[in-house]
Amino acid sequence: MKINKTVLILLMAIVLISCEKDIDIDLPESERKFVVEGSIEPGLPPFVILTKSEGYFSPVDINSLQNAFVHNATVFVSNGTNNIQLTEICTNQLPDSLLPTIAELIGVSLDNLKSFGFCLYTSLDPLIFGEVGKTYSLSIQAEDKYLTSTTTIPIPVPMTRYWYKDQPGYTDYGYLWFELNDPPTYGTAYRIYTQRKGIDSRFIPADGSVFDDHFFNGLQFEAFIWRGHESNPSGQSDFEIDHYFQQGDTIIIKFCTIDQPHFQFWNSFEIATFNNGNPFSAPATIKTNIEGGLGVWGGYGVTYDTLVAVD
Amino acid sequence: MFSKLENLNSVRNILFVLFISLIVFQASAQKKFTVSGYVKEKNNGENSVGATVYIKELLKGTTTNNYGFYSITIEEGEYTLVVSYIGFKNIEQKIILNKNIRLNYDIEEDVITTEEFKIIGEREDKNTNEAVMSTIDLDVEKVKALPAIFGEIDILKTIQLLPGVQSAGEGNAGFYVRGGGPDQNLILLDGATIYNASHLAGFFSVFNSDAIKDVKLIKGGMPAEYGGRLSSVLDITMKDGNFKKYEAEGGLGVISSRLTIQGPIKKDTASFIMSYRRFYAGDVAQPFIDDSSKFKGTNYYFYDFNAKLNWIISEKDRVYLSVYLGKDVFKFNNKDDGFGMDISWGNTIASLRWNHLFNDKLFLNTSVIYTKYQFEVGLEQDQFEFRLFSGITDWNAKLDFNYLPSILHNVKFGVNYIFHEFVPSNATAKSGEIDFNTGDIIKNYAHDVAIYLSDDWDINEKLKIHAGLRYSLFQHVGPFKRYNNTDFGSPIDTIVYDKGEPVKLYQGLEPRITARYSLRNNSSVKASFTQNYQYIHLASFASVSLPTDVWVPSSDKVTPQFATQYATGYFKNFKDNMFETSVEVYYKIMKNQIEYKDGALPEDNAGNNVDNSFTFGKGWSYGTELFIKKRYGKINGWIGYTLSWTNKQFGELNNGNIFPAKYDRRHDVSIVFLYDISKRLVLGTIWVYATGSALTLPESRYTIQGQIVSDYGNRNSFRMDAYHRMDLSLTLKGKKEKKFKSDWIFSIYNVYNRKNPYFIYFATEGNIYDGTLEIQAKQVSLFGIIPSVSWNFKF
Repeated sequence: MKINKTVLILLMAIVLISCEKDIDIDLPESERKFVVEGSIEPGLPPFVILTKSEGYFSPVDINSLQNAFVHNATVFVSNGTNNIQLTEICTNQLPDSLLPTIAELIGVSLDNLKSFGFCLYTSLDPLIFGEVGKTYSLSIQAEDKYLTSTTTIPIPVPMTRYWYKDQPGYTDYGYLWFELNDPPTYGTAYRIYTQRKGIDSRFIPADGSVFDDHFFNGLQFEAFIWRGHESNPSGQSDFEIDHYFQQGDTIIIKFCTIDQPHFQFWNSFEIATFNNGNPFSAPATIKTNIEGGLGVWGGYGVTYDTLVAVD
Repeated sequence: MFSKLENLNSVRNILFVLFISLIVFQASAQKKFTVSGYVKEKNNGENSVGATVYIKELLKGTTTNNYGFYSITIEEGEYTLVVSYIGFKNIEQKIILNKNIRLNYDIEEDVITTEEFKIIGEREDKNTNEAVMSTIDLDVEKVKALPAIFGEIDILKTIQLLPGVQSAGEGNAGFYVRGGGPDQNLILLDGATIYNASHLAGFFSVFNSDAIKDVKLIKGGMPAEYGGRLSSVLDITMKDGNFKKYEAEGGLGVISSRLTIQGPIKKDTASFIMSYRRFYAGDVAQPFIDDSSKFKGTNYYFYDFNAKLNWIISEKDRVYLSVYLGKDVFKFNNKDDGFGMDISWGNTIASLRWNHLFNDKLFLNTSVIYTKYQFEVGLEQDQFEFRLFSGITDWNAKLDFNYLPSILHNVKFGVNYIFHEFVPSNATAKSGEIDFNTGDIIKNYAHDVAIYLSDDWDINEKLKIHAGLRYSLFQHVGPFKRYNNTDFGSPIDTIVYDKGEPVKLYQGLEPRITARYSLRNNSSVKASFTQNYQYIHLASFASVSLPTDVWVPSSDKVTPQFATQYATGYFKNFKDNMFETSVEVYYKIMKNQIEYKDGALPEDNAGNNVDNSFTFGKGWSYGTELFIKKRYGKINGWIGYTLSWTNKQFGELNNGNIFPAKYDRRHDVSIVFLYDISKRLVLGTIWVYATGSALTLPESRYTIQGQIVSDYGNRNSFRMDAYHRMDLSLTLKGKKEKKFKSDWIFSIYNVYNRKNPYFIYFATEGNIYDGTLEIQAKQVSLFGIIPSVSWNFKF
């Protein structure tokens, strides 16, 4: 749903005459909070990245970022039957063959993953691998703080169909369209990713990747998605066609059903990243489902499809 | 304070007191006679509002009401009656009062004093003499020489130059009075409520100064005849229309123009005025948009249309019909993307008023008023259509009596009934032929009733009081659906109310007292105590007031706002009232204040009520206001200074800790001067200074999926840079003797090109994972130096 964003862009456009300058701001010394970025999918191990927030203007370099990782934390994931402790692994200790999977799961490009090196908590014990319909609780003890959260892997709702259509005025570019038949239960939420074969190194969330059935509970309807981008794209992009797919692209679509608290996190996250700098919005607080910290612990009910973009 | 509906005894008691007082006044009024009548301006027949009529021998008198009526009842005798109104020649007349007499006066402009360009028209010593405080009258004609952005003089901008009234800066027509929010100001145009007084996201107000006669701002000590808002009343009177001759006036500006025509329908009996203003910057740009451009069809404009008819039916009856229509329209097209959008918002009002004189002492004004504010957005993207709309409509009927039993009393009483229809954000959406479920179109309904009684009472030479009592009642009625949802929006249950079924009732008493005690040397001390209820609320997400803000009623979830204000002041005039000075101190407590919950997002009404996302707390404000005004002379103008604090505390916000309101301003200074260089040339200067706005900034950052996101610090704990600015204007007036008069106004806004902060944002560039990320705070300013010229004519 792109509606909010469009309204905001246009309100900003109303501000016809304006100018801006760089300013220095003294922000008070802040408390550093724990930040969880964790996910679990069917058939895959849980992954948890644990970092600490930093002062807004504290220096950004490789060292400080590496220092943001919290090491030696005690991390447990339970599915109600098994309570398994995760172990800390840094990506430079892993064979290259596993890296694309990890890049997908933590949502950074493969290049960034290789050059930067992430540390995360996981377990290769199949007893704690994700299963559809189960609820997973996370508990973390780091330094003297406790963080907890729970998430479910909902039964995935499949997409009815996908197709590609040229955008009017273009002959080779257009959106990816879909038809969804939303189940009658209120509050079903979704997240959608795409990967263009041979172009993208991982699944990239669509621009506006999450939506729930607030407007269309129980309905069958058509809509389209805007193609997403790597968080830090290298090279110039052409804004005109930035959100389109191209005829001939082979698109792998990862369509996930997620629970409401998980949805609320990504929805507020996407609004916050979009709203940065918008004077008409209140400070966009990102809703977390982590008790005692920031971030998200989210389960995904996943379906995959492949579409060759031909109009 | 609230009790159940059955408990209507209090109402009966008030009515009883009212009745008894009338009898008492009647009894004490025997053996006395009344002189009464209307005061009008000679050249155009406009009512003189607030003109002083007094008895020289007694040094006592009254002022004309909003319709130019006065009435004085005193013992039999010979007196000298004086009519005075600044800018006009005094009239003195010997009267022999041995029966009730009717005397109407036509007052003539005083040529000399008009040339001196008085800023504010009022009785010479009104400042120190009246039992009224924290109230300011502006004569619109007299403020037209002040500098204005784009040469478009604006009443709302002008009142923000007064102490105790704070501007929210550029791009915001909302104003803050003594720590109250923009929704706590009652803005009336000929008695009708204006719910959104701004055009173009607040750069202009809806009041076309050519159609406006008089502006009264009450920021404290609110009389009992007004209610429904916590902080202030801005009572705006439209011109009646010239009773003597036809007249046209207008102005051509760079981005907007206006035209007003007025004249008699039947000389001295009926007249009309019509005024139209259009902002056409977008229209002007149209020819430059190429036909093949993908943005063809994109435009922005707004207009205001004011019209008023008035008819003197007889010596005792007079009817006024006022109409205002205004709209902002914004269209945006991008045909390449298949995208189209139009946004429009505007007010419509119609007010019919009938003045009736029962006798020399009892004046009645009956009003029937319709007012509507509507906001609409339509979006189209390929096969998608989305519409969002919200608004409020009022049907309003009022009876206002003015009873003048003796020269010592000025009694007002009346009753007011409003039926409100609220449309909180409603949406419809469809994709092709499939309609999305956006919920029912929700409307909320409420009855809003008030009765009041007040008296201005000259107790003795020293002491004068205004005592008033207002009783108000508000009932939210069905049809209504209350959705009870979980925090994540999934439904728990729904309560359905049928048409007319009460949802919630609130009522309360609002005492209003102001006292003046005269001291020697043309000075006085005043004090006031007022309590107000506010039953309707404006819910605002953003840090500025936007047309998207929705009005919501008090409901089972929302308790009415309630304020208590204490104010006291010292008033002194110098040098034949050439200088007026005052110091006021106030303390105000506001209960049941509303904010959105942390992290709440704008929503439609599908399975939800907008008030489910509110959280409630209290606010308080205190401060002092200094005002020095030079009322006439070659140089005239004023200096205002406000020192104030405004804080809020909400259980669910900022961890329950006290935080400053976003419009908390420590210092606020306005300096306004007009200098009459010659008879035809006037120089105007404004300088304003305000402490920077409070805002919430991120305290720390973290990274999710390679993107930097913020964790916010304490609410409103950061201050932007101070706002200050100087404006200049030069008015060259046409020769007075000519029939066709034209004025040139040259103005420079923000003379020293101050980059005032409008908002702050953080720009992030580079890649966090290779160490090239940079975060830079940026401040955006709106207007630098803006020169403009406009040409006004009148014939």
